[in-house]
Order: sequence, then structure tokens, then C-alpha cells
Amino acid sequence: MTPNVKLLDINNVAIGIKRRKRETLVIVREANFDVNYGEMVGIVGESGSGKTMICRAIIGTLERRGASVIGGEVLFEGLDLRTINEAKWKTLRGKVIGYVPQSALAGPNPVLTIEKQLAEALSQVEGTGSMKNRSKELLDLVKIRRVDTVMKQYPYQLSGGMRQRVMIACALASKPKLLIADEPTTGLDVTVQSQIMELLREIRRDLGTAIILISHDLALVDEVCDKIVVMHAGATVEVGPTSSMATPRHPYTVALNSSRIDVAKPGGELLTIKGNPPSVGQWNPGCRFAERCDYVQQDCLVGEHPALSGNKGEHQSACLHADKIGKI
Amino acid sequence: MSKRDILMEVENVSVTFGSGATAVEAVKNCSLTLNEGEPIGIVGESGSGKSTLARVMAGLQPPSAGAIRFRGDNVFKGNKSFQSGNRNQVQMVFQDPYGSLNPQLNGLSAVAEAVRIHTKVGKDESEQKALELLERMGIGKLDALKRPRQLSGGQRQRVSVARALSANPTVLLADEPTSAIDQSAQAQLLKLFLGLLNDGLSIVLVSHDLGVIRYLTKRVYVMKDGVFVESGDTDTVFNDPQEDYTKMLLASIPGELGKAARAKLKK
Repeated sequence: MTPNVKLLDINNVAIGIKRRKRETLVIVREANFDVNYGEMVGIVGESGSGKTMICRAIIGTLERRGASVIGGEVLFEGLDLRTINEAKWKTLRGKVIGYVPQSALAGPNPVLTIEKQLAEALSQVEGTGSMKNRSKELLDLVKIRRVDTVMKQYPYQLSGGMRQRVMIACALASKPKLLIADEPTTGLDVTVQSQIMELLREIRRDLGTAIILISHDLALVDEVCDKIVVMHAGATVEVGPTSSMATPRHPYTVALNSSRIDVAKPGGELLTIKGNPPSVGQWNPGCRFAERCDYVQQDCLVGEHPALSGNKGEHQSACLHADKIGKI
Repeated sequence: MSKRDILMEVENVSVTFGSGATAVEAVKNCSLTLNEGEPIGIVGESGSGKSTLARVMAGLQPPSAGAIRFRGDNVFKGNKSFQSGNRNQVQMVFQDPYGSLNPQLNGLSAVAEAVRIHTKVGKDESEQKALELLERMGIGKLDALKRPRQLSGGQRQRVSVARALSANPTVLLADEPTSAIDQSAQAQLLKLFLGLLNDGLSIVLVSHDLGVIRYLTKRVYVMKDGVFVESGDTDTVFNDPQEDYTKMLLASIPGELGKAARAKLKK
């Protein structure tokens, strides 16, 4: 593990979807964060805030959905991923950058046994020893017991947690430097969730893999990640080391924090965020959170979306009035 | 507060699926009581039988053994069908609002249809009532005219709550109502549930999310493999769990809530 060296740098990235009449709908703009080697970074935000789109940009699958990076830089080990061709992508995607998609339950191919599933992933990477032994090693790695039985089973015979482990095993086949887990525990039990989180932590510790964890559960991200990135309406509104995020400096993070159920008193005040997130790409001038914000001022409603303050790696906020937070 | 009247009783209910060697007993000899205007929780992992029990309480699934009483009347009599008079007193909200709402109907039509079925009023009147219900759930007229796919997850779930309320029920059974929606939408929904409790509705909340259970309910039943392993006041169960299973469940919650339980478990 090389601490504090940048593995991935998302620099002012904008993503757009092509619509009819050469019109482009911008769905992400001003996304900014970086991931160091061996670091665990959590991305939180409401549905539609652009979390998954950013991930697709990192693994180069945006084009398949008619979207593309239209601005900024996606630097992976210094290489701008916008500039590389499909042949180069094939050496990165699923190899250096692993991906665990959102729907774990639908993830594994239903007509392949787990052994074939893993063999398919392993066939893409070089290695020594028989395919069977390498598959077994992978299942051991993700703490699946009764390996021999599981190898012969089909996905429908496995529980949700087991299927998610298999998906993680596939993603780990090539020992990636970066693993992206897109809401890996949505729809799973709390007990299974805590096991999967433990597993991710162990993978990070033992293999030195950097992990991006996408979630809308702030409590979860708070507990396992080194760094937290908060997204709202396609922009990074706050980013910082987990410890510093205890005192949020963006009203959206404040609002997210106060809607946390684990810190609320039973039956007590549970603050909700006013209104709904702005529709994708339909943004008013100025700060995109202004309409829902308790701290809104005149200057929030004009010009561009505020840029993040400070330097990368520090606690940054995209609020013009960050100094007033907690003082109203 | 005076002692509340018992509204619903579940007496030694068992549910068996299949027969012979492949029979699965999803619910085993479970008993619970629901008092008038009370919020209770049923918590457990996937496959623990909590949804099956909820379906029995809603009258969607006859029990293999045991009885469900609603205000003292056995609801599954003889032919195992729910007694018609009480049928709409218990309404259910399902986990996935996208799957339970008709994709072809906008929120207003979906709720108005339910109003017509339950109260046998005309079109105009039912739409008026539907608008009121949706308004109460924080869905304005503009959003009420949208189809499910045009709404956010939280809005969809609130439409399905409005639909459940159209029967003017005394009991709302919510099966994992918050697991498919965002944290902020979850907070919104829970606020609405608190409002409904104030209006005298009884709520049975089925969930594996202990945070939600702790926030909303007064009593909780912990279910494992079809059996209630622990039950009691939500406060007591959360602060002083007796069963190992409950302790483990509590320790799995991320964040502040699980911290204390994890510390205790390590000792």
C-alpha cells in the first residue's frame, strides 16, 4: 500500500447524455474528488445525484448508455481515461479496476454454475495453477464456506449475501488496484450488510485495494470509509476525511445528517430535506441546492454553481456561506 | 394513559407451505397482540417468516393453524376467507412501490380507484377524496397526475400509503416500507407515519432495519426461523437485549446505534 499517493483523480468532471437534435443533457457537472492507493472512499447522495454515472465514467461504460464525459479529467494513475481507446480499456476494465454492480441479486449469470462464473472471470487474467484451484482460492478470499458445494451451485441456490460475495470474488479475480462497489448491500439484511462491509475492509487491508463505496446510507459510509464525498444534483458539494465530516460544512450534508435515523430520538424530530432533488439536468442558475437550503442568500441564486473551496485532500465545501453553518 | 383495548390478536399461528417431506414451516406457533392506536414492530432477517406473518394478519394468507382475531372476531372462519366486514380495516403497504402500483395509472387514478372500491362513491367524489389523501401524504396535485415511473421512490411509496389509507383502515401493515428508498425520503415517510399514529391508526411495521423500528414502534417482536425469539418494549429490547440473536442483530447496525451493542458483544 502506498499511502497518500493519488490513484484516481476526478477533476471537474461533467457527464452528458445525447438527446435528439444534437442537444446534450448534462447530468453531472463539477464532480471533484480523488482516491489514494489503498484508500476507502464513500460516495453518498440521493438517487439521481450522479453517483453511479461517475462510476461508469471510471470503468468506461458510459458510452454504452449513450452518455459520455464532456468535460474535466478522469485521471487513473496519471492516465486520462477520456483519451484512451477500447483496446486500452480492455486492459483496465475488470482488470485494474474492478466493479461490483448495484443489483447483486441479479448480478451473477443465472445459467452458469459458480465455478463457470469464476472461470470466466479468471480466463481474462493470467495466473498459475488449475482454474479450479484458482476459483477455490477466490471463494476462500471472500469467506465462502463449503467451497466445493458452492462451486457446483447455480446463483438461485445461493442467498443474497452469498451472491454478493460471488460478485466480489469475480471482481477480485485480477487483483485490481481499485474496486468500485455500487450500493453493494442494498436489499440485503443488516447482518449480511455488516459481514460484507467486514469483507471489504479485509480486502482493503490484505490486498491493499483502494475501494469506492457508493451508498445512500451515511451511517454506513461514516463507519467504514476514510474519506466521504457528498454528491447533490451531479456536483460534489462536500468532500473530506471522515473525521472532519462530523462537522459538515455544506447545508446538504447537514440536512442528510439530521435525517439519519440512527442518531434520532425515537419518535422525535427527524428533519427532512425540503422539496425534491432537482430533476436531472434541469438546474436553476447558481447553487443547485439553493431551493432546498435553509441558509440561502441572494448571491446563491445567481451565476455558476459554487466551486469547492480549498485544496484537494482537505475538507472542501461548495457552499458560499459555509462559515454560517451551525450558527443560524 | 388508560389501558388500551386489544385490537388484533394473533394466537398460536403457524403457516406451512407445501406438504410431506418438502414442507416448510415459515411461521411456527407465533402469538402477538396489537392494541388500539399502537405502533408495533416485527424484526428479523430475510426468510425469518416476518412477511408471511404480515400477510396472514392482512388476510392475504390463511394460517395453517391458530387464529387471528380482530376486535374479538376470528377473521378466518370455516372457509378460511377473511370476514368481509373487517377485510378493509387492515391495509397493507408493500416493500416495492414500483411493483405494487399500476404503471398505467397516475397516482390520482390509482388512489381514486381504491376509494371507489372501498366507499362506493362516484367518480368526482372519489377523485376529491383521493386528492385529499395524496395531499396528506405530501403529494401535490401536479405530482398526483404523474405515473409511477415519473415519480421518485419516496413519492411512489407515499402514493401507495395514500392508497392503503383510502379504505379508512384501523391498522396499517407496512412490510419493509423504507428499504427501497433514500434516507431523506425515509425520514419523510416516517414523519407521515408519526402523523398517522397521532390520528389513532395502529401500525405494524415489518422491517429488518432496526433504526426504523426503534424510531417508530413502542413494542417489538424479534423473529428468527419462524419463531419469536424475543419481544417486549422497544426501549428495553434495544437497551438490554436478552437473546444472543437480538444482540447480534443490534451489533450489525452501522453507525451510532450499533456501537453500544458492538461494545457489549465484545466484552
